[in-house]
Amino acid sequence: MIAIREPRDFAEVFKTLMAMWREEGTVRFARTVLRLGHEPSAAGVMWSIGLIGTLITFAWCMYMEVVEGHAALNMLSDGINWGAQIPTYVFFALTSSGLTMIAALPMVFGFKQFYPIAKRAIWLAIITLIAGFAVLAFELGHPFRMLWAVPTGLQIMSPMFWMGVFYTIDLILLIIKFYLLWQDDWDSPKSHMVGILSFVAVILASGMLGLLFGSVVMRPMWYGSFTSIYFMLTAALSGAAMIVLSTYMAYGFDRDNMPATLKTLAGSDELPKVFATLAGIALVMILTRFWTGMWTNLDGMEGFKKLAASPWFHLEIWVGLALPFIAMMHPATNRKVGWQVASAALVLIAMFINRIEFVISGQLVPLFKGTWVNSLIDYTPSFTEWMSIAMGFFIVLMLYGLGEKLFRLHASPSTGAAGETAKVVTSVPA
Amino acid sequence: MAKWGMVIDLEKCTGCQACTVACGMENTRIPGEHWQDVIFFQEGTYPNTQLKWFPRPCMHCENPSCVAVCPTRATTKNEDGFVLVDWDRCIGCHYCMIACPYGVRWFQNQPPTYGGPDIMKEFPSGDGHTLIGEEGRNWNPPWALPEAKQDWKHGVGVGPRNVVTKCTFCHHRVSQAPKGVADLDPSDPKLRDYTPACVVTCAPGARYFGDLANPDSQVNKLIANKNGVRLLDQYGNKPQVYYLTGEGGSVPANRVIKKS
Ligand code: SF4
Ligand code: SF4
Repeated sequence: MIAIREPRDFAEVFKTLMAMWREEGTVRFARTVLRLGHEPSAAGVMWSIGLIGTLITFAWCMYMEVVEGHAALNMLSDGINWGAQIPTYVFFALTSSGLTMIAALPMVFGFKQFYPIAKRAIWLAIITLIAGFAVLAFELGHPFRMLWAVPTGLQIMSPMFWMGVFYTIDLILLIIKFYLLWQDDWDSPKSHMVGILSFVAVILASGMLGLLFGSVVMRPMWYGSFTSIYFMLTAALSGAAMIVLSTYMAYGFDRDNMPATLKTLAGSDELPKVFATLAGIALVMILTRFWTGMWTNLDGMEGFKKLAASPWFHLEIWVGLALPFIAMMHPATNRKVGWQVASAALVLIAMFINRIEFVISGQLVPLFKGTWVNSLIDYTPSFTEWMSIAMGFFIVLMLYGLGEKLFRLHASPSTGAAGETAKVVTSVPA
Repeated sequence: MAKWGMVIDLEKCTGCQACTVACGMENTRIPGEHWQDVIFFQEGTYPNTQLKWFPRPCMHCENPSCVAVCPTRATTKNEDGFVLVDWDRCIGCHYCMIACPYGVRWFQNQPPTYGGPDIMKEFPSGDGHTLIGEEGRNWNPPWALPEAKQDWKHGVGVGPRNVVTKCTFCHHRVSQAPKGVADLDPSDPKLRDYTPACVVTCAPGARYFGDLANPDSQVNKLIANKNGVRLLDQYGNKPQVYYLTGEGGSVPANRVIKKS
């Protein structure tokens, strides 16, 4: 019987997989892989749904790419140059940054009570960033060309160049940091240093993503020195929501399944308070932005009026942010599993809507485009765009299941290497 | 170094769109892909309305925001003042389209913006295209720019898919002009072939093309004597296309042309 039991490094993972394949034969091995082991588990379900979803959406997008080209992705020249995939990328990239910030609470700033979510947050930061890049790659006309054209061009004037640089550094540091935690190195000076560097990188990366929008004076709905701050703080909110939701997902939405340290954290009001604070800040930022937009007569801000009339905007503000804010502030609700999960899910939905609104509404007022676009532009994402967005979410789901199963994401310094036995073990029945 | 620039006299412009057509033919653009356009709009509310039009090529800005944002240096400004796209470097990220205040940039490969047949499918290139590596031509109409003048490094000719295109100030013509000329005057038979197609074709002679760095050029004199103005100067792009408004014309102050 061969099983992957908490592998210590990648060499071990591959060795075990190879041995399993040899012993079980291709078909049984494939079936085992598809279910991520022989025993049913929450992680296995996430992995299978994620894997199948990723394959289907990827196949669809590739098919359309070949048959229709980028036209299928709605990338036209009439004014909406960045369709729904860019906000999706922004959503994932900022969620990743937020997760890194949450992980920094214990790892950099010494709030030890958050240790039990640190490793999971870092894993999620890695996979959301990968999902973001994957969606972005479909948006680009020449994703592979980017690999040489950006470094050789060295266009240091371009915010997009710096965004690429810092998110790449961010990803590398995250992987190193995760590897150290995998080796149960939580507290060495090296681990500490990587933690600090990674926090700095993520602040710069999300700041650069903000600059990318904030620097273009001809798009007044984006322009300004506030945009980077707005991105960083709302990133933290998405990160907090993601960690709450995913932690419960991993334990089948039942706090009793959690290891003791995590259970203590989940049952306290520490995380809900952080969460509520961030939601409150986001709410204030969005509303102040919005009423400036409604009041001003600056040419190019007309998108705000369109937002005010959109039901999505109100869903985002009242249901997606205000309600979770109240629920997480209130002592009667903020420790309840149902409210925590619902709040996290609502905030994530709100943040996704927010990214779409931000990116699209900034482009609704056309530039000098000609007689046929002379008012606000109408835009609806195409089916292929939705598929590529779904691909991003499936990738996260798939890799999250994998991480849950393989990496003991709940580990924290108190549980240590020989601490609790993980429930997640792949084993072959005798 | 020359600094090529254009002057458009709005008093003379009749809005006939000959420049738009000439540009499309000269540069083999897809129908709807208007590197040069004359934008029509209505000002005021009924019954006090005016029909207005406004010719708009790429401004080849002195301080081009499209160059600054391009992450790959595919878009560059050369020493003679042209702003050009290198189709072999462009990754199709659209950032330049976002950052150009004048809406002059296009993304290659989109369905027909006018109803009717997809002209790219009517005239397929035959050399195919791949997602990775070298790209073939996007399409290949029989009236394409002569092979010798195709120049992907400067965004001239029938390009590949998935890159951004824009007006080149007819780089393939102007860059061949004799060194040191102050103005490219289409009425001079020796210079006609080097003058941008839109300037050559403009029936009322509303367009002038010359060297803004040469104090003797006619374009400089027109700008000075007839009070040349630039479009949306508040964005700091400093266009190298100037408009003469005279008594009848006007330059829109807003980029939004509201439907009334
Ligand atoms: S008009 Fe637009 S595309 Fe042309 S140089 Fe200026 S910013 Fe660049
Ligand atoms: S689309 Fe091409 S030319 Fe435009 S910014 Fe991106 S790489 Fe540069």
